[in-house]
Amino acid sequence: MPFDRSGQFYEAARPIEVDGGLSVRSKRGKIGEQWWSRKFVDVLEGVCDPGRLARGRAYARKGQVMDFALKPGRVLARVQGSRPKPYEVTVRITAFDDARWADVIDALAARALYRAALLAGEMPHEIVDLFTELGLPLFPEQLDIACSCPDWGVPCKHGSAVLYVLAEAFDDDPFLVLGWRGRGRDELLDALRGTPEPEETVDPLAVDEEPLDGRLADFYSPGISLGRLRERPPRGGLPPELLLRALDPPAIRVRHVPLVDVLRPVYRDLGAAEE
Amino acid sequence: MLVVHGGWVAGAGRPGRLIIWAEDPALPPSSASRARIRPHPFAAPAEALRQVVPGAESGSLTLTLPGTGRGPLPSPETGVEPATRGIKLGTWTVPALSVPGDEAMAVLGELADPDPEGPWLAGPSLRYLTLLAGYACDLARRGRMLPQLTVEARMPTARWRPVLTGGDTATFRDFAAGMPPVVRAAGDGQAVGRVLRDALESLLDSAARATLPERLMVGQRPGLKSALPDRWLAALTGADPALPGAADADVRDLRRALDDWMRAANDAHGPIRVSFRLFEPAPEAPPGEDGWSLEFALQSAEDPGLYLPAADLWEGARFPGLPRRPDETLLAGLGRAVRLFPLLHVALLEQRPAAMPLTTGEAYDFLRQAAPLLQAAGFGVQLPSWAGRKAVGLKLTTRSKSKAGTSRAVADSGFGLSELVDFRLDLVIGDGVVTAEELAELARLKVPLVRVRGQWVELDARQLKAALKAVGERREGQLTAGELLQQVVDGGEEDLPLVEVDADGDLGDLLSGQAAERLSPLPTPAGFQGALRPYQERGLSWLHFLSRLGLGGILADDMGLGKTAQTLSLLLTDEGSRSLLICPMSLVSNWHKEAGRFAPGLRVYVHHGATRMRGPEFDEAVAGADLVITTYGTALRDLETLRGVTWSRVVCDEAQAIKNSGTRQSQAVRAIPARTRLALTGTPVENHLAELWSIMDFCNPGLLGPAKRFRRRFQEPIESRQDEDATAALKRATGPFVLRRLKTDKSIISDLPEKNEMKVWCSLTPEQATLYQAVVEDMMAEIESTEGIQRRGNVLAAMMKLKQVCNHPAHLLKDGSRLPGRSGKLARLEELADEIVEDSDKALVFTQYAEWGTLLQPYLAAHTDRPVLWLHGGLSKARRDELVERFQTSDEPMLFLLSLKAAGTGLNLTAANHVVHFDRWWNPAVEDQATDRAFRIGQSRDVQVRKFICTGTLEEKIDAMIERKKALASSVVGTGEEWITDLSTDQLRELFSLDPAAVR
Repeated sequence: MPFDRSGQFYEAARPIEVDGGLSVRSKRGKIGEQWWSRKFVDVLEGVCDPGRLARGRAYARKGQVMDFALKPGRVLARVQGSRPKPYEVTVRITAFDDARWADVIDALAARALYRAALLAGEMPHEIVDLFTELGLPLFPEQLDIACSCPDWGVPCKHGSAVLYVLAEAFDDDPFLVLGWRGRGRDELLDALRGTPEPEETVDPLAVDEEPLDGRLADFYSPGISLGRLRERPPRGGLPPELLLRALDPPAIRVRHVPLVDVLRPVYRDLGAAEE
Repeated sequence: MLVVHGGWVAGAGRPGRLIIWAEDPALPPSSASRARIRPHPFAAPAEALRQVVPGAESGSLTLTLPGTGRGPLPSPETGVEPATRGIKLGTWTVPALSVPGDEAMAVLGELADPDPEGPWLAGPSLRYLTLLAGYACDLARRGRMLPQLTVEARMPTARWRPVLTGGDTATFRDFAAGMPPVVRAAGDGQAVGRVLRDALESLLDSAARATLPERLMVGQRPGLKSALPDRWLAALTGADPALPGAADADVRDLRRALDDWMRAANDAHGPIRVSFRLFEPAPEAPPGEDGWSLEFALQSAEDPGLYLPAADLWEGARFPGLPRRPDETLLAGLGRAVRLFPLLHVALLEQRPAAMPLTTGEAYDFLRQAAPLLQAAGFGVQLPSWAGRKAVGLKLTTRSKSKAGTSRAVADSGFGLSELVDFRLDLVIGDGVVTAEELAELARLKVPLVRVRGQWVELDARQLKAALKAVGERREGQLTAGELLQQVVDGGEEDLPLVEVDADGDLGDLLSGQAAERLSPLPTPAGFQGALRPYQERGLSWLHFLSRLGLGGILADDMGLGKTAQTLSLLLTDEGSRSLLICPMSLVSNWHKEAGRFAPGLRVYVHHGATRMRGPEFDEAVAGADLVITTYGTALRDLETLRGVTWSRVVCDEAQAIKNSGTRQSQAVRAIPARTRLALTGTPVENHLAELWSIMDFCNPGLLGPAKRFRRRFQEPIESRQDEDATAALKRATGPFVLRRLKTDKSIISDLPEKNEMKVWCSLTPEQATLYQAVVEDMMAEIESTEGIQRRGNVLAAMMKLKQVCNHPAHLLKDGSRLPGRSGKLARLEELADEIVEDSDKALVFTQYAEWGTLLQPYLAAHTDRPVLWLHGGLSKARRDELVERFQTSDEPMLFLLSLKAAGTGLNLTAANHVVHFDRWWNPAVEDQATDRAFRIGQSRDVQVRKFICTGTLEEKIDAMIERKKALASSVVGTGEEWITDLSTDQLRELFSLDPAAVR
């Protein structure tokens, strides 16, 4: 039975639907695929009662979490409940100060592995271990969750919905965790490399544009003979599923099966279609 | 006849559209309207277009096209002479079909191969788009695409998008540079990049859907309420790509994940890549000791020579084109590579990784597993040269018993395929022979990489097993030369290939693939008129050697090196033999003429045409002939008759005609029994492996084994991986039967004259012959009834008309009718152009008729798909210079059509090494002057000059006169064609009359 902070029973009404809320992708089973986001979910699931958890999951799936803002030390989220005014949920952890980050950066700089991983968009176990070794565990043992709703159970379903949404956000971008602790990915990489420098990007598919009146004499003719265009170097021998193998797979599941697993066998057969 | 053009209108926020419109040269060329936007005067109406693409939506489209104030410029394909001055862009509306992007692939597929007899032909713009569609299919089949979620007209839509990286970016840029401007002429003209990207995206999406199975996932079809990824996946292959009613947040999430995926795919193939190089242990390292090293580096993807080892990079070294933070490029690349080569993780524990040591086992894993994956994922990989080679093989040694080893007098050595020869088979690992004991020791060590006699080899378990098995089998003794030949051709097993052959005597000569050099040349046979050049004598002895052994051969000398002369001399060496020569129709006259010239003693019967002999008449003709000439078409029709004859030899000229073993024509040719067979071809057979098998199988039926084995053993490894072992094995298997000399070979050049002039004899088609007769009758009547100046005029007009008929019926009729299949000369030119292009050569083609050049140019360009430049009197000086410059500097094979009058003097076209005179000027001085455009000081290559002459026509007769009077040429015929007008009417009748043999 839900009671409000004054100890009074209140009726759990249907929440108001949110248009464009942050609904989690996982529609059944676990939320949070990567090990780092599971860490959060584990912390949450260790402290929260199953009923609130289930309702929180349902909220997260329905998209009741309207948005969240992540700052060092604090996540502020708005969750639409049954009342017109959305509830505000705040999740706090301790942000590391500059001196502690300086230690972390020194330790990260000592091994190319960390920079290589961070540049490749990955968060290997080693990085977490390194934080732990420095006495600065990246993932908190406890979460300080506050909600403006009448339910005084902690965390309430709104809080757990926010944590589920956060877990999935961490799936997509593990650097959010670092940002929560006080350093975003770019800041961290800048610190690792010394001076930040913008990289100019060159579009490899940029082509020379020629105005039509530069080609009046051969308006109907190819600028490179069709025979030459046909002479493409043979690029046989590469497995057609290579793109799927070489790239970080996207966090997309179709009926619980990772997208890449669905595509791999059909890609493999692509080359055979030639016969 | 319509000329159909294709274009693309890029869509804004939605798929673009393919547009199809056409010119109808039969409509009036100019418009009376003075409006800024006017109807295109000779655009085909919508009803005509709907016959090209039934069912397509039609409408009116505005195009920006070059033209004058009076009308748009006709495309070259119309055959209409265009204006050349005062050209500027104008706006015209045309009836057009508009095909939605989703259907463009299907429509282009249908238009790809228009019926040459049909009412329309495809302009280069349409063929360009078809080629682009083919490229989209190629990308899809190679898996160079990822599924995406796009928003089209505010509707979330499931789409496949190309991933263009590495070599594909270069191909994309080529397609951009190659796009005919008319493709993007819709509206005010669109940007190349936008049109190309839009068209390629649409085409790739269709290609992917056509290639993929109907459903990517089994089970229930997702409904409107299903999760978005589920619906999206179904829409990727479903009929409707749209995803109506999807929640914005779901769309955003899915898009973000898919966009990141696409971005990562593109990032992985930047201009600078991370490269890995495997070093073997130093030679002085004791065997069994590890000490492999894997070096990391940055390398330019476009220019692999720009290579910077990571060690130098950390020291601060750079090369041009590196990003500002090359160390990050290196680290990010290594970070990605870990996924494919997990051991790399170890190197990343250092601060500045530059290389990592590997054990022998790890090195083997890298070679076998990681290296191909890394390479395929866009990383550079450099391996020691021995890597990937089949390490274990067999060596065959044979010793002939006869003492003929020293003498090379083949004709009397008596060597035959049934002769018994001693042989021995040894196991070879790397470069050295190993004993059974050594092999057993290697097998016991169970290491996949071993050093044998100082050289590292990969020992694959399957190969080792095959080798151990072979040790137990019979490895020496006696076999016939024929059995050993078969063994060499088979090339051993896949796991245990034959890698080395050491044979002596005649068998050694044959197997070496260099018999032509090693045999002592046969003297030119007595009945041969003229002298064989030294390389031709070598060719003759090779042909004779194979023929005597009962083996078939492929004479694949470059065009112009005299395959005809060598073949005719071969026919003269075996008296009492009867040969059947099968060639394309366009070459019948030429063979007949050349046989008469080189081997007048040969009795020739031409079996071809509607009036050819049958039954007893045929038997009699064949009985009295040494050489029977027929065409591929006739061979198919008269197969039963031809099979009944005992042939000593069947010769196939232009053997590409039987390159496809499945066609009825090539099966018919194979079905004619003969003691030996000979194939003649000028195209480099080694570049077309399926063709090579087919032609070899004609020459030596069954010797190469079934096509399927050939594909697996040679074709696939060579074509898909450029496998060096398979290439060597193929050379060993086919080398004995193929003789190919290039005109650029040093030994050949010294034998060749600088300017090699040939007459090319062509026959008239029945249509040409009928027209020719009609013109003769018509014009003779005119000539008889006139005198003086008028008569002279009529004689010249008659000559011109007859020469036009010899060129092409459409040239005389000027009716815009289609060109293929109606002229013997054109058929010959098409074949020559194919060979010239195949050999990467350049040719000048002269004609004295500008209107013929205008028709020929677009036709040849479409036929060869290569640039065909056209220089005529109507061009400005600047445009001429531009064409000459392009011809002289481009590295692409191409043809340069020139009007004899416009190009007679002042041009320097030394890039050409072929000159064709399509019609004759009857003035050797003018022709020579034209020929000299190509043949000038500074020309380092030899020039082949061909003069086309139609047999049995005035062309042949005048040629004969010129030959007879050559000594007096400058005084008698040197003044052009005027002298002919002085001939009497009877002489003219004789000159113009058509010899019935001319029609084939």
